[in-house]
Order: sequence, then structure tokens, then C-alpha cells
Amino acid sequence: MSSKNHRSHNAQEVLSRLGKKLSRQIAGSMVACVHCGMCTNSCHYVLANPGDPTYAPAYKADRIRKLFKRHYDWTGRVFPWWVKAGSVFSDEDLEELKDTVFGKCTNCRRCSVNCPMGVDLATFNRMARGLLVSVGIMPEGVAVVSKDQWEIGNQMGVLKEDYLDTLDWMSEELQAELDDPAVAIPVDKPDCEIVYSINPREVKYDPRTISDAAKIFYFAGENWTMPSEGWDMTNFGLFSGDDDLGGAVARRLFEKVSELRGKKLVISECGHGYRSTRCEGPNWAKFDVPFEMESSIITMLRYLKEGRIHVDKTRNSEPVTFHDSCNNARSCGMFEEPRELLRLVTTDFREMYPNRAENFCCTGGGGAMSMSEYTPRRLKSAVVKANQLKATGAKVVVTSCHNCVDGLNDLIRHYKLDMRVTQLVNLVANALVVPARVAVPAGGPPEIPGEAVEAFAAERPVLADRTIVVADDEPDQVTLLATIFEDHGATVYRAYSGDEALEAARSRKPDLLTLDLAMPGRPAAEVFEMLRKDAGLVDLKICVRSERPELRQTIYEQAVRPPEGYLDKPVDEQSLLRSVRKILELAH
Amino acid sequence: MPKTTAERVRIGRSSLRLIRGDITELDVDAFVYYARHDLTLGSGFGTAISQRGGPAIQKELSQLGPLETGQAVATGAGKLKAGCIIHAVGPRFNEADTAGKLRRTVLAALTVAEEKGVKRIALPPMGAGFYAVPLDLCARVMVETFQEYLQGRTGIEEVVLCVMDQREFAPFAARLALQEA
Ligand code: SF4
Ligand code: SF4
Repeated sequence: MSSKNHRSHNAQEVLSRLGKKLSRQIAGSMVACVHCGMCTNSCHYVLANPGDPTYAPAYKADRIRKLFKRHYDWTGRVFPWWVKAGSVFSDEDLEELKDTVFGKCTNCRRCSVNCPMGVDLATFNRMARGLLVSVGIMPEGVAVVSKDQWEIGNQMGVLKEDYLDTLDWMSEELQAELDDPAVAIPVDKPDCEIVYSINPREVKYDPRTISDAAKIFYFAGENWTMPSEGWDMTNFGLFSGDDDLGGAVARRLFEKVSELRGKKLVISECGHGYRSTRCEGPNWAKFDVPFEMESSIITMLRYLKEGRIHVDKTRNSEPVTFHDSCNNARSCGMFEEPRELLRLVTTDFREMYPNRAENFCCTGGGGAMSMSEYTPRRLKSAVVKANQLKATGAKVVVTSCHNCVDGLNDLIRHYKLDMRVTQLVNLVANALVVPARVAVPAGGPPEIPGEAVEAFAAERPVLADRTIVVADDEPDQVTLLATIFEDHGATVYRAYSGDEALEAARSRKPDLLTLDLAMPGRPAAEVFEMLRKDAGLVDLKICVRSERPELRQTIYEQAVRPPEGYLDKPVDEQSLLRSVRKILELAH
Repeated sequence: MPKTTAERVRIGRSSLRLIRGDITELDVDAFVYYARHDLTLGSGFGTAISQRGGPAIQKELSQLGPLETGQAVATGAGKLKAGCIIHAVGPRFNEADTAGKLRRTVLAALTVAEEKGVKRIALPPMGAGFYAVPLDLCARVMVETFQEYLQGRTGIEEVVLCVMDQREFAPFAARLALQEA
């Protein structure tokens, strides 16, 4: 038991560690508050508990600030009563502080963006959490999750065999769905363009998000892989305030991507995972990251813009609204990209108000979903979010965060809203126009069962009755493609420039034209546009080819129907045939 | 130039080896689990032990607890490859005298192993990570304790230090190099 003269070991530890945590930013936030109250109504806890001052951001901040004032600011040492300086003496005092910093704040930062003095409560609330964790004072759920992430390597304790089994299972389902044995989730493949990292929740509760992402990578012709270890991009260190955990988790991921020599780390849709990995991770881990990092939102948007995937947005015709995750939006500034993507893949998007930086927390942020002792408080505060959702009239709420998915699902159940929650990856996968994928992944073409192609060819050449124009300035390339097409029954016309391609298309009226994008003379984009605008060629299918993917952008920027497909160079015979057959079967 | 890292050193008639891996999957006579006072397996390595090893281990533990800091007990390892598991309760969360308590905990685990006739024993970085024992302190105390213990009469032929990642590997490899020098 502690008296005012005797401080418990834990209280003493917390106070001495506080001194080491005082960065300039935190110290600035500690002294800047003028108690103007402007942040008060920013907080969903306050709005749901109007008569209870203990939920006010400035009140909560004062629980921590008083320690700073008493022990690290001269004003508190000289005039403690005036500046409300105070201290902690016993473990009970620390338990009380725990109730505030874990149980009354989701670190959503909405108050921070509404403070004219720049006070960032969420940052020092996180710091206070970290101080308590360092002496073992934390909600049981936080302890369970942190220990899993420290020792198993992911915050849901998913064992390696279960993770790999899930990837196998998803691969099998995709193979069955797409009728292509080549669709498999590659694991630990070195030298890929993309290493894809996920939230363990996807393995445990939502494996469809993994298979949907795999499907998108497959149709984009991406050269990608998933790591067998270090695959968890979430980081409970962000929530618990434990920078050591933050650094250890981020480092495992960074080291694995480096070991695989991945060119880019793509982070699946998860707000806190994105913030921890991309924004905070390199600092926590003190790691000079040698590769790019990107949210999968950006990856999917890029694929659409580059024409690497095609979608039919009418497949997502229910009214949808978008919930900005606090970490993606307020903390990382990702406001417009998810909306742009959403507009491309859905037909009825309605904003929720307020939105973007002013959006309210899903109430499951800051690790709140793991702290069951505070569930009644959380659900009470969720009335704010429930009202926001209801006002949209949407049937579907889309969010780019697994934590938000759980928080929103819980409040939708609690407040009996007629809505469901989904993510962008699900909507994009659902809208995919399947035959559009015709790229050949670098590092080798997918295995196509040769017997199947041959058996078919034995009955009837697969390109019988087809007319194809091959346009390329390199004679070798023309000969290669023309020979393959002719061997399989097509009639082929050769063109070695843009003008020759135009001429051949107009005179021969082919079913398909393969257009190289780097021919000298008339620019390929212009040739493409002229072909598309030619009234006599409305049925012409065009497949663009290039070894420089960036050139495709010029084609997809034209205000005409995009090409039916594209082919990377080089290409092997089976992939080429398979792709061309798909394009020819594709209806406009 | 002396080596700055090492992965294996000899101490007396035994050897001390540093590896990266999952301690719960090792084929050793015993591995050490950094246990709770009440001997509930809980999460982390506890998840791996109960899921891979089966319920018998927790059942056996329910007859053995609670333990004080610095004590250790052995149980069977269920369906795991190891011969047995030594559950050792060490210092946690920056409590007073962490180094002294950690040393006693490591010694307690080795003593239990000795009693069971264990020849190969694996230990994790005891208390580092979740329980917040600083990694450098952990590496220093563990290696010093092995040095002290293995110099004496012992049936333990090999101590395996099983770490999870490079971050944990580095301070132990540096300690072993000092040992070797
Ligand atoms: S808005 Fe800023 S200055 Fe005003 S009470 Fe809130 S934290 Fe303090
Ligand atoms: S960070 Fe969010 S939950 Fe915490 S006090 Fe501010 S508005 Fe409220």
C-alpha cells in the first residue's frame, strides 16, 4: 500500500520513464492547452455522454498533463495548485489512469484536428498507454494480443501452418472458380514486383479478402507473392503505446521483404496497419527501408487507371457510403483515392457527413475491440456513428480498415441498422470483368495445360476463321506472332508501322489487331484512336503490346473504348493463344 | 580482430548454440516457457503450446501452480516434438531486481532440466518482448548464467538459445562472441 510519502515501484517507474518519452511534440502539446473547450464536442464519447465531463478531451489530457506539470515543468514545481500539477503514488492511481487512457479514448485524433493550439491528445494518450504497459498495467485483451504479436508474430496468434493452409485453400477455390490451375497464391517467391502483406483477421475471419486480392493480382498480370513469415502488417504497438513492439513487428516485415528482394510492399486495407507500417514503422524499427510501400487502395486504383484490370460497376449497384478510417484519413491524409476507386466500381455512392478529416471514429479504434471490459461504453458512444450511417440511406458501408469493419459490424448489430460492411477489395473483385486479364507475369508464364490446347487443336484449329493483323516494327516479333496464329488456323496480315496497321485494318477488316506501342512514325495512341473512331471497324478487337507498361497509360487516356486486352513482351505460345482466345470471345 | 558475433560456443563439456526458429517446434529434450504465476498457458507461445501440443499440458499444469517468481516446473509436451516443457516464472514489466530474478529463474529452469535428465534444452530470450525485460540485459544475464552453470557438474550437453528474429539474434550473437573471446 502506498502513502503520499511512499511511491510504489510501478508509479516511480512510470514517472521516470515519462521523462524519457517527452519529445518536443509531446512537451508542446502538454503546455499548449488553454482550456478553450473547442475540442469538447469533437469527441464521440462526449456527444454520447453529454452530462459527463470526464469524457472531455481536455479533461482526459489533464490526467496526463498533471504528471508532466508536477515532475517536468518548473511551473508545477513552484505553483502546483495553480497549474493543476499532480502525481501518481500507488498502483490504484495507475489503474485509474488506465481507465481513462484505454477506456475513454480511441486515439482517433478528431479532437487533435479541432484544436486551434495544435494539442495532439491522441499522441500523448498513446504515450501514457505505453508507460502503463511498461509496468504491466493494461486491459487483459491488450496483454493477450500484444503477447501473440510478440511471440507468434501476428496479433491473432495465427500459427504458421494455419496461415499457409488458408492460402492453399484460397488458391484451390480460385482455381475452381476461374477454371485455371495457374491461379495460385505464390508464397516466398523472390524478386517480385509486389510483396503483399495482410491483417491476420483476414486469415481468421475473412479469407475472402485474400482471395479477392489474389484475383485482382491475377487479372492485372502482377508478379507478386505473399511472405511465409513476417506477413502481418498490423502493429499492436500503435495501440498499446509500446514502441519496442512497434519496432519489432515493423522490422520483421521489412526484413522479410528485403530477404525476398521485393520491389514494393503492398499493405492490404487496414488503417492502423498502413499507418504503423508505412508512416511509423521505419522510425520505430530504426530501419532504412529499401523498397517502396503502398496501400492496396492505391494499387487497385493504379491497375484500373493503367487498364490492367477492367470492371463493370453495375455489378455493385446497391447504395454505398464510405467510412474514412481515422488512421488512413486523419493520420495519413488518404481521403480522395478510396473515393475515386469507389466511384469507378459502384453506381450509387453517397457521402456520409461529416467525412474525411472530420469523420467520426467507428468507435473500435485504438485497439478498443480487444478491450471487452469497455464494450458497454464503446457501444454507447457508437450512437454517433450509427446516426451518421443511418442518415446516408445506404445499404452498404465501405471502409478500408479491418478494425473499422469489426467496429462497424458491432454497432450495426447493436443499433439494428439495415446495413452491411464491406471493403474496396471485395467491390473491385466483384466488378472485375473476368476475360480482361491477358498479361503474362514476369518470371515465367502461368502453366497452361498443354494437352488441353492440343486436344482442342486436334479437333479444330483454335483460331480457324479468324483474321488477325499483327502490327510491330520488329520483323522478328511479327514473324513470331504471325507463325503462332497461322499454325492455329488464323489468316494473318503483317504491318510494320502505324500507317500500315491502319491500312491493313481498313482493308482486311480483321477480328483482332495486335498493336505494338513503340513503333516509329505515327504515335500508337493516335493510331489506336483512329482505329476506334473508324465507323467501319466497330467490331475490331485491339490488343496492345509493349515491354514498357507505362506506355499503356497513353492508350487508356484516350476518350474512346479501351483496348480489349494487353500483352507483355516477351510472351510464350500457350499464354498468347489463351489470351487471344479470351479476347476474341469477349463481347463488347 | 576478435569476432563480433558467434553462434556456438563451448562451455565446460557442454555447448551453447544460438538459432533462429520457433521454440515450440524444436526436437529437443525440453524447452522453457516463460510462464505466468498461475501457470495458465495464455497467448503467445502459450497459444502454440496448447494448439499444437493439445489440452493435456494445461490439464497437467492445473495441478502444479501457482508458482513464485524464480520457480520452475516440468510437464509433458503433449503432441509436440520436445520431450517435456519447463514452465519458469521470471521477472516481468520492469519490476525491481530484474537481473537477479532473471538469473534465479534461468538457474531454476536448468535445475529442473537436470532433475529430468535433459541433455538438450532450448530457451527463448527469457522475458524479453512482452514481459519487457530489456534485450541486452536478457542476453547478458542468460549467457553469464549458462557460463556459471555449465562450468560445474552437469548432464546438460547442449543449451539452445532459440530467438525469433534478427533483432533478438544480434545481442545474443554479440554476447556469445564475447564469451568466445
Ligand atoms: S481545443 Fe485545444 S486548447 Fe482548447 S481545450 Fe481542447 S486541447 Fe485545449
Ligand atoms: S482522440 Fe478521439 S476519442 Fe480520444 S479524446 Fe480525442 S476525439 Fe475523443
